[in-house]
Amino acid sequence: MLQTATIAEELDFHSEAYKDAYSRINAIVIEGEDEAHDNYVRLSGMLPESQEELIKLSKMELKHKKGFEACAKNLSVTADLPFAKEFFSPLHQNFQVAAAANQTVTCLLIQSLIIECFAIAAYNIYIPVADAFARKITEGVVKDEYLHLNFGEQWLNANFAAAKAELQEANKQNLPIVWKMLNQVAADAKVLGMEKEALIEDFMIAYGEALSNIGFSTGEIMRMSAYGLVGA
Amino acid sequence: MFGLIGHLTSLEHAKTVAKDLGYPEYADQGLDFWCSAPPQTVDTITVTSATGQVIEGYYVESCFLPEMLATRRIKAAIRKILNAMAHAQKQGIHITALGGFSSIIFEEFDLSKHRQVRNVELDFERFTTGNTHTAYIICQQVEQGAQQLGIDLHQSKVAIIGATGDIGSAVCRWLQAKTNVSELLLVARNQERLQNLQAELGGGQIMEMTEALAEADVVVWVASMPKGMEIEASKLKQPCLLIDGGYPKNLGSKLSHPNIHVMNGGIVEHSLDIDWKIMSIVNMDVPARQLFACFAESMILEFEKWHTNFSWGRNQITVDKMEQIGQASLKHGFRPLLSLVAN
Repeated sequence: MLQTATIAEELDFHSEAYKDAYSRINAIVIEGEDEAHDNYVRLSGMLPESQEELIKLSKMELKHKKGFEACAKNLSVTADLPFAKEFFSPLHQNFQVAAAANQTVTCLLIQSLIIECFAIAAYNIYIPVADAFARKITEGVVKDEYLHLNFGEQWLNANFAAAKAELQEANKQNLPIVWKMLNQVAADAKVLGMEKEALIEDFMIAYGEALSNIGFSTGEIMRMSAYGLVGA
Repeated sequence: MFGLIGHLTSLEHAKTVAKDLGYPEYADQGLDFWCSAPPQTVDTITVTSATGQVIEGYYVESCFLPEMLATRRIKAAIRKILNAMAHAQKQGIHITALGGFSSIIFEEFDLSKHRQVRNVELDFERFTTGNTHTAYIICQQVEQGAQQLGIDLHQSKVAIIGATGDIGSAVCRWLQAKTNVSELLLVARNQERLQNLQAELGGGQIMEMTEALAEADVVVWVASMPKGMEIEASKLKQPCLLIDGGYPKNLGSKLSHPNIHVMNGGIVEHSLDIDWKIMSIVNMDVPARQLFACFAESMILEFEKWHTNFSWGRNQITVDKMEQIGQASLKHGFRPLLSLVAN
């Protein structure tokens, strides 16, 4: 958001260093959108009353995935998908375990809150430093992601009393994984002009707002959104 | 609904406050953590005017710390202010004051260029620096404080340290137009701005700081420095009245001399208790009654329903606007703090 146009101008989108870092960041985005698609399909089975909407959301994620594949092609980069699969595996695993146990609240926290907020933060920080082609695509995607976040917020808000304890527990299990994921890609993100502290801040803003909309108090939000950050 | 965007005075202070408020995740963290921390609404406030009118507001902690400027983490500092403003706007606040370093950062780094903050387009009409009220209150402190100490302004020189700043230049304009001060001593770093100010005022003497401090009967300190300043009692004229308009206010503790009278500048007292907890955190002597004049400006604007950026842009403060906010300030029960910092 605040990295100015001057910084964007300094980036050489066609340098080997940029393309090398891009191969991993872009792969994460493609894999993330793909997993999001699968997760929403899975959730649609768990929440029959919202099935139609969840299928709609899942289709949007596939559209996003195609958009980001085009971004890689535009820069002649091959996405490092094995790296991305490995990168997502702890969160993926936690989602699968929760889904198998029919823990809808935990599944929503992982997909609709954590992954969506992570995507929103990353896309917002990326947009000002993106190449012109990717910027246009990412601007379209980020608008959709707010809608996805909104689905999770509304459902969890409507079921807040019953969901609160499970949300807090799921937060403890999953947020530290997010910080680790962020550390893993901090160096690559920096090559793309995205700073780790700005990514963390934007994530905490999006996540904090979501928790607030769901019904948590300021104190609870401060504790939950910073959980596990230190020592990650 | 009014808002206040504030911040703590140092990393050390932030750690203590986080601990006291029961946020262990925020306590004992280094500067890196605060550079990543998001803005939070940490207090809700109810204020009753001397007229009986009641208004509500929010206190937004930006998580900015002065160390970010001292260590040149400018991007972090800028993010803190813009994110806090976006946060305030999202809460639907009509008018929000940018307290402490917030307005200085906004001006210094020309943040008006950054209107779009994620999915929020900042509406600058909803924000005020609060500097018109601060300048007005400092002028009242000069006039009433001098009288209280038996200093006759007609026979006195008043030094303005930071004369070309937004508050400093407004104080100069007021003192020149509304008082019979014998001479204004203008001190600032930028010579060109100083000469422009002198031309605008049609008077005042441009001076080096040490020279001015040795001659001044009243010193108005409104320079903004992240680390505060070093000043020795022996370099000052005695007796003298020193209005400390800096942030944090530390001149009182540094200058211990019976003939040097220090007043905390730009602070007001309200005639009724304000229901909030935040002023005890920023170390006000009487937390329920005392507050920064810039914060009081957003309360006054809310009381008067002047939902506009009353103080905005650099060096735009006129004597007329100072009079206008001054009258409203009195009407709603705010008074300049006139007690001296104990030696």
